[in-house]
Amino acid sequence: MRFIVLRRKTIPRYHTWISTAISLILGILVYLFITILVGRSPLEVLVNIARSFISPSIVKDFFVLIAMGCALLISFKAALWNIGGEGQFYIATIPGILLTLFIFNPRYNPAPAPLVILLVALTGTIMGAFWAFIAALFRAYLKIDEVPVTLILNYVAYYILNYLIFGPFKGRYVYGYLRTDEIPEIYRLNVRVHLPMRGDPLQVALQNLTVQLAYYIALLILAVLIYVFTWWFFKHCRIGLYTKIHGSNPGYLQAVGVSVNHVILLTMTISGALIGLTGSIYLLSELGRIPYEIERQTAGYGYLAILVSWLSLLDLKMIPFSAYIVSALRNAGIALQVAGLGGVEQSLLLIGAILLTYSITRFLVEYEVRFEW
Amino acid sequence: MSSKVLSTSANISSADSVENVILSARNISKSFPGPVIALDRVSLDLYAGEILALLGENGSGKSTFVKILYGIYTPDHGEILMKTGRVLERVTINSPADAMSKGILMVSQVPQLISKLTVAENMALTLTSLRIHGVKGLTSIKKILKIIGEESEKIGIKIDPNEKVYNLTYTQKQLVEILRAMFVNAKILLLDEALTYLPLLERRKLYQALLKLKGQGGSIVIITHKISEAMEISNRIAVLRAGKIVGVVNTWETTIDQVRVMMFGEERSKQISYVKVQTINPRGEPRIIIRNLHVEDDYGREIVRGVNLTIHAGEVVGIAGISGNGQRELLESIVGLRKIKSGDIYVDNVNVKRSGVRNIRELGVSFIPDRLLEHGISPEESIVENIAACTVRNGINIPWGLIEEISRELINSYQIIAPSTKTPVKYLSGGNILKTIVAREIENAKKALIACNPTRTLDEASAIYVRRRIREKAVNENLAVLIASEDLDEVLMVSDIIYIMNTGRLYGPLTPETPREDIEKLMVM
Repeated sequence: MRFIVLRRKTIPRYHTWISTAISLILGILVYLFITILVGRSPLEVLVNIARSFISPSIVKDFFVLIAMGCALLISFKAALWNIGGEGQFYIATIPGILLTLFIFNPRYNPAPAPLVILLVALTGTIMGAFWAFIAALFRAYLKIDEVPVTLILNYVAYYILNYLIFGPFKGRYVYGYLRTDEIPEIYRLNVRVHLPMRGDPLQVALQNLTVQLAYYIALLILAVLIYVFTWWFFKHCRIGLYTKIHGSNPGYLQAVGVSVNHVILLTMTISGALIGLTGSIYLLSELGRIPYEIERQTAGYGYLAILVSWLSLLDLKMIPFSAYIVSALRNAGIALQVAGLGGVEQSLLLIGAILLTYSITRFLVEYEVRFEW
Repeated sequence: MSSKVLSTSANISSADSVENVILSARNISKSFPGPVIALDRVSLDLYAGEILALLGENGSGKSTFVKILYGIYTPDHGEILMKTGRVLERVTINSPADAMSKGILMVSQVPQLISKLTVAENMALTLTSLRIHGVKGLTSIKKILKIIGEESEKIGIKIDPNEKVYNLTYTQKQLVEILRAMFVNAKILLLDEALTYLPLLERRKLYQALLKLKGQGGSIVIITHKISEAMEISNRIAVLRAGKIVGVVNTWETTIDQVRVMMFGEERSKQISYVKVQTINPRGEPRIIIRNLHVEDDYGREIVRGVNLTIHAGEVVGIAGISGNGQRELLESIVGLRKIKSGDIYVDNVNVKRSGVRNIRELGVSFIPDRLLEHGISPEESIVENIAACTVRNGINIPWGLIEEISRELINSYQIIAPSTKTPVKYLSGGNILKTIVAREIENAKKALIACNPTRTLDEASAIYVRRRIREKAVNENLAVLIASEDLDEVLMVSDIIYIMNTGRLYGPLTPETPREDIEKLMVM
């Protein structure tokens, strides 16, 4: 017997969506099978997972992961493996803290809130861009692979933040905790909506969703803006085309007279800038303050976004879908922990099972496997 | 068409007895995403002790067919049978290693040898993987050297086994490839444009090796775009068109014109004309001046040695020479893709020695590279995106409407076979990839065109169109053209002035009327 693997000539129209849905179902089934083996109630686990997929509490992660998934997509399309999203995300919060708590603190130096918010976003963008630019310089001019450099820069960013929180950024109104002060309310980007939370479960869920959407409205707008930007970048922008070609054949860029080093610098900088922008908006939307030992308290968006980007198979259309899956799974893991059905390994196992089935179904979508006797 | 078509399918083969069939491909089909139908139920028999020429225009499926026989591609449908003892048995060929173990070997236009290793080390890789001639994983290189010495003497091909491959000439590399085929006792040798552009004398040396293999009962398949080559060496000619066998004829029973009609059809074959577009303009001003140029190759050896050359506006300068004599490096240095060791290059009186590719291109210089996949295209991107990357130099947004229009014009005028302008280039055949590059660069050229083997994988009709277009651009638009080509016919047809490049030096100038033998002597001296 032999296996024959052939690339399909035509791929079904909705293959991407169908294969993702199938892999999701199969992955959960694999996960349930493992939970049965270790003696847990599959029904209880399944209920918790299912709830996460329809829980309004995933909207925050969903918006952040769309934004960061798009940002990483830009560098990944150029075959520049920016795994430093975490560092670029957190380093971008430094100017935000500086501007809102020190330079324009409303207690002693008030300034128009829109101006300060704009400055926070702008400086955060620059900071994220700068952080990615460092790795790009190493890659472009010293030919040092960007993977270790961006990874190391994550830790450098963590430790710079830790140092600042321990020292100059240490809060004065923190009741002995090691963290920064809370960002003043006037600079926060949340819209608080109060709804009665009454009615049947669907009505309550919808009211809850409305509350969440309003609260994270800034992240929603950011996700839409970054998504549209990424679409424009690849569809219409000259640099976007160079970025794609860099991922396919940098030698061609060189031969048509485009500086490969400039493309590396630009691509990484744009990717870092978008992550920095996300970090600064996240600071004003969700974080509100930075706690000490940031590496122990991070939501890990920089790493989760890598997953989002990969799950999409570098297809922009798929980014919202994969961001939804990853944010639901992250919340499922937390829900399982809260329900006492396991530790952090539960979410990792679940994500792993889905990734496994996803890889297999994606392969089968593109290739036909035949057995011949 | 009056030639006698012997067969179009294996089932009705009649010329040779079925007893003599060494390999039979039956109803082989292969498609690629796009969808591109490369082969459509192709059936073909190979006989022991024959040389079969496989001809066809670009995208007809020739390379796909031999790649299937060599295990690079798996057919969608169909089967391959090989002679085992006295019967034909169905075989599966999963990889080139599998093909080699079955006695099938392929030699392509680009030698598949590892340049940094010696001839013996390259041979050792093949011998150890196939475990033949008593060579195993732990066999010493000394013993392998001895085996190579003994075997090559038997075969009659003399190559120093201790020589590094990068020190060999192109002909020697191809000889090593053929030697390797003899070593592995190849029953079937597939030559994909492997000998086509060698000078006649060199080519005939290799023909001797092929005849030896044929004499031992081997079967040889030659893919070539040169009908004359097929007529000279083959016993039978099979012609593919649009993925189908349109005919198989005995070579001695047919003529070049009949084969041409089989390849292109009556209409297109009538358009094939070797009449040269004459230069009407008087010689223009010097457009490109090269002074005492020295350039190193990828291994730091001086490969261009003191070249002086002037190309005037409105003239085509052709450089003939066997591959590997510095032509590629010379051309790459002119367009800024390769560092210059010493010397000067002027384009329109501007010294471009350190200008870089961008500035040189902005002076109106176009470039058709030798290394097509490295410098010519981005395989994942579509035709229209590849054209945009080369033509759009400024602005943030790409004017897709305009680029789309240009792409469609190029596809039509150069007859590029592609499902649409949005098709990723990687799904096109080798010839159509070259057409895409050539069309883009020729039509984009404003002041000068630097071209390396611009028609190397093109069929006769396409090659003639490209050469005609190059001359028209030179004559009508006052373009300065420098062409380096391994194909002497091309250099003779397209050039006003000819130089020969040998071991990094230019010899000439010569006129296109110079006897061919004199030029070939300079190429191999």
